[in-house]
Amino acid sequence: MASTAAATARISSKKQTLDDAYAPPANFLEIDVLNPETHGIGKKRYTDYEVRMRTNLPVFKVKESSVRRRYSDFDWLRCELERDSKIVVPPLPGKAWSKQLPFRGDDGIFEDEFIEERRRGLEQFINKVAGHPLAQNERCLHMFLLEPVIDKNYVPGKVRTT
Amino acid sequence: MMSPQEEQEKLMEEALGVVKTQSLQMKRCLDKGKLMDGLKHASNMLSELRTSLLSPKCYYELYMAISDEMRHLELYLVDEFQKGRRVADLYELVQYAGNIVPRLYLLITVGVVYIKSNELSRKDILKDLVEMCRGVQHPLRGLFLRNYLLQCTKNVLPDVVQEVASETDTGTVQDSIDFILLNFAEMNKLWVRMQHQGHTRDREKREQERRELRILVGTNLVRLSQLECIDIELYKKSVLAEILEQVVSCRDAIAQEYLMECIIQVFPDEYHLQTLSNFLRACADLHPDVNVKNIIIALIDRLAMFANKEEGTGIPSDIQLFDIFSQQIAQVIQSRQDMPPEDIVSLQVALVNLALKCYKDRTDYVDKVLETTEDIFNGLNLDHLESSSAVSRELMKLMKIPIDSYNDMITVLKLEHFGPLFEYFDFSARKLMSQYIINNCVENETKIPTQEQVDAILSLVSVLVQDQSDQPDEEEDAEDFAEEQGLMGRFIHLMYADDADQQYLVLNTARKHFGNGGNRRLRHTLPPVVFAAYKLAFRFKEIKDEDDKWEKKCQKIFQFCHQTITALIKAEMAELPLRLYLLGAVAAGQIGFENYETVAYEFLSQAFSLYEEEISDSKSQLAAISLIIGTLERMVCFTEENHEPLRTQCALAASKLLKKPDQSRGVSICAHLFWSGQLKDAEKGDSSEIRDGKRVMECLKKSLRIANQCMDASVQVQLFVEILNHYLYFYEKGNPEITVQVLNQVIDKIREDLPNLEATEETEQINKHFMNTLEHLRLRQDSPEAEGPSYEGLRL
Repeated sequence: MASTAAATARISSKKQTLDDAYAPPANFLEIDVLNPETHGIGKKRYTDYEVRMRTNLPVFKVKESSVRRRYSDFDWLRCELERDSKIVVPPLPGKAWSKQLPFRGDDGIFEDEFIEERRRGLEQFINKVAGHPLAQNERCLHMFLLEPVIDKNYVPGKVRTT
Repeated sequence: MMSPQEEQEKLMEEALGVVKTQSLQMKRCLDKGKLMDGLKHASNMLSELRTSLLSPKCYYELYMAISDEMRHLELYLVDEFQKGRRVADLYELVQYAGNIVPRLYLLITVGVVYIKSNELSRKDILKDLVEMCRGVQHPLRGLFLRNYLLQCTKNVLPDVVQEVASETDTGTVQDSIDFILLNFAEMNKLWVRMQHQGHTRDREKREQERRELRILVGTNLVRLSQLECIDIELYKKSVLAEILEQVVSCRDAIAQEYLMECIIQVFPDEYHLQTLSNFLRACADLHPDVNVKNIIIALIDRLAMFANKEEGTGIPSDIQLFDIFSQQIAQVIQSRQDMPPEDIVSLQVALVNLALKCYKDRTDYVDKVLETTEDIFNGLNLDHLESSSAVSRELMKLMKIPIDSYNDMITVLKLEHFGPLFEYFDFSARKLMSQYIINNCVENETKIPTQEQVDAILSLVSVLVQDQSDQPDEEEDAEDFAEEQGLMGRFIHLMYADDADQQYLVLNTARKHFGNGGNRRLRHTLPPVVFAAYKLAFRFKEIKDEDDKWEKKCQKIFQFCHQTITALIKAEMAELPLRLYLLGAVAAGQIGFENYETVAYEFLSQAFSLYEEEISDSKSQLAAISLIIGTLERMVCFTEENHEPLRTQCALAASKLLKKPDQSRGVSICAHLFWSGQLKDAEKGDSSEIRDGKRVMECLKKSLRIANQCMDASVQVQLFVEILNHYLYFYEKGNPEITVQVLNQVIDKIREDLPNLEATEETEQINKHFMNTLEHLRLRQDSPEAEGPSYEGLRL
C-alpha cells in the first residue's frame, strides 16, 4: 500500500532514554512569600515578608534561599527590570493610597486582611518575574532573591552562567 | 469570589454547552453529507479538551461526553468508506487541523476507520498513531488522548503469531505488544511527570489526583492480558521484562505500587509461576517508599489460592515456589535497610501461609521461616520486643499460624526455631502467647506423652509456670491469675503417656517445673499432679499381671505424692494438703500393694498432724475432722492395731473441739466409727464392721450431754433433733443399746423445749426437721420392715 506508507511517512526521532523520560524537570523554581511582620512605629512603621526560593535552575548559585523584603524592595526590583531587561514586567499589587489617609478607624495598610491580599499579589508577581528566562539573567533579580541586604548602588548587568 | 468547586462547575457547564452545540452541528452536517464541515465542528468540539483549567475529575467527565459524540463520526466514516470513499486522503487531511489536541483525536478516529476498511494498513497506521501522540506532552491531556487511542484500537489489534501472518503481513501479536508497550511507557511517563506540576505544598492533593487517574495507565496492561497469542515465552521475554523495566526506572512510588499490583491482578497465575524470580527481583529494586510487603503478599495470596483450587493442577512440581519466595524475600529485605521490622515479619507471615497452604507436610519450610526471622532479629539487634509494638504484634501473628494450622503442639514443638523466637517477646506478650498455646492444647486435647516434650513445652510457657526475670512489680489481677493457673491445672491432665513407666517420668518432669512456681502457683498446679499420680497408681494395679515390679512402683508413686504434698505444706497450706493426704489414704487402701496399710496409716496420720498443728479456725476444724472420720470409716485396710489409735484419736479430737455445738456434732459423727468402721483380720485378710454398740451409745450420750451445755436454746434444740436422728439410725441398724425409752426421752425433751423458741425462720426449720423425723417414725410404725426393729411404745 503505497498510500499508507506515504500518509504515515515521518522524520524519525531519537529514542528517549529511560533516565530522560523519568527525570524530574530541570526547571524547577518555586518562590513563596510568607510570614509577614510589621515593624516600627508612627511614620517609620512598615511590613516586610519572607521571600523563600527553591530551585534547581543552574543560573542560581544556590538551591535554596530566604530573605526578608518589603513592598518598596519589590517596587525597586520592578523599576530595575523595567529599565534594563527586555521583558514586559507584570504589575505589582496597588499601592493602596486610600488606605494610607490619616484619621482612620482601622489599621489601614497594617490590617491583616490587606497584608494577606498584598502577600498573595507579591508572590504572584515574583514567580512570574523569576520564571522568565530573560529576567533570570538580571543581576538585580539575583540580588533581590539571594542577598540579605539590597545594595541599591550596585552595578546593573547580566549574570554569567558557566 | 467563587469557591474552587463552583469555578469548576461553571467551567464544566460552559464546556459541555460547547460540546452539545458543536456535536449537534457536526451531526447535522454529516446528515447532509458535508463531511468537511462536519469535521470542522468535530474539531471545535475536541478543542474543549485543550483546557488546563479543569480538575482531573471534570476533565474525565468532559472526555467521556466528547468520546461519546466521536462515535457518531466514526460510524459515519465507516459507512462512507464502505461506499467507496478514499481513505488515505482523509488521513492526510485531518492532519491540517490547527491545534494538536483536536488534530490527534481526529487522526486516531480516522486511522481506526482506515484500518477497519483495509486491514493491510493496520500495522503502519497503529505504529504511526502511537508515535504521533507524543505531540501532546501535557500530562492530563496526554493521558486522555492515549486512553482514547487505546479505546479506539481495542478491536483492531493484530493477535496472530508470526507463521500465520507471514503471507499477508497485516501485523502480528508482536506488533500489538510493541504498540501497547510504547503507549504504556508514554502514559506512565506523563503520569509520573504530573507529580512535578504545581506548587510543592499541594503535593498530597496531586497524589490523590494521580491515584484517581491510575486506571488509565493500567488499561494498557489489561489490553496486553487480552491478547490471546501471548504465550508464556512471549510474556516472559517481551511483555513482563519491558513492563518491569518501565516500572523500576520510573522511580515513583505511586506508579510502582499500582503497576506491580496491576501485573499480579491482570495476568494469569500460570504466568506468574513461570516468572516469579523476575517479578520478585524487580520488587527489590522499587522505590523505598513503595510498600513492597503488600505487593509480595498479594502475589503469595493469589498463588496460594491457585494451588488450592479444586479444578486446578496445583503448583507444578518443577517450580520450587517456597524456595524462590524465600530467597527473593530475603533479597528484598536486604536491599531495603530501612524497612520497618514489622513489615519484615509480615512478609514472613505471608511466607508461612504459603508454606502451609501449598506444602502442608513440609514443617521444615515453616521452621526455615522462623529461622530466617530469628536471624533478622539478630541482625537488627532486636532482643526485647515491647508487646505494644507493631513488630511484636506481627510476630505474634506469625507464631500463631503454626499453632492454629497444626492444632497440635507436638508438631509445633518439632520446629526448632519456635522456642528461640519465643524469647524475643516481652513478659506480657509471652504470657498471651503461652496462654494461647495451652488453650490450643486443651481445646484439641493434645496429649503430651514424653518427658522431653513436657520439658520443652513447660520451658516454652515458663511465664505461666514460674516467676520471670522480667516479672513486672505490680501484682496481677487475682481472678485472672486464678483463671490462668486453672488452665495450667487442666493442662496437666493432658500430660499422658500410654506407657505407665513413661507416665511416671512425665509426672516427675512436670513436678520439677511446677515446683519452682512459688507459693502463689503451687496451690493450683501441684494438686493436679498428685491426682494424676494417684491415677497412675491405679493404672499399675490394672497391669499388675504384666509388671512384677508394680508394687515397688506404687510405693514410689506414693512417696512422690507424699513429697509433693509436703511441698504444699511448706508453701503454708493446710486444708488442701490435708484433703490430698486423705485421698491418698483411700487410694492406697484400694490399691492394696505391699505395705499399703503402712502407707495408708502414714497418710492418715499426716492428715491428723496437719489437723492438730495447722488448722485453727473452728469451722475448718469441724469440716476437717468430719472428713477424717468419714475417710477412716471407709477404710478397709486397717487391722485393730492401726485402727484403734486412729479412731480413738478421732474421738478425742472431736471432743476437744472448741465450741460446744461443734463438739456435740463431732462426737455424734464419731459414733459411726464404732459401728460401721471396718477392721481387717490379719490372718484371714477380709474385713468386717466393728459394731461396738456400747461405744456408740457412749458417744451419743456424750453428744447429748454436750448439747445440754449449750447456752443458745435454738442451737440446743437443733442439736437434739440431729442427735435424735443419729439414735434412730443406729436403732434401725439394730444397736441393742438403743431402746424405745431412750428415743422417747429425746423426743419428749424436744417437745418440751421447741415451743419456747422464738418464732424465727430458724425455729421454723428446726421444727420442720423434727416433724419430718416424727413422720418417718410414724410411717415405720404403720408399716414396719420385716427384719427391722419394733417401734412399739414410741410416743409420737
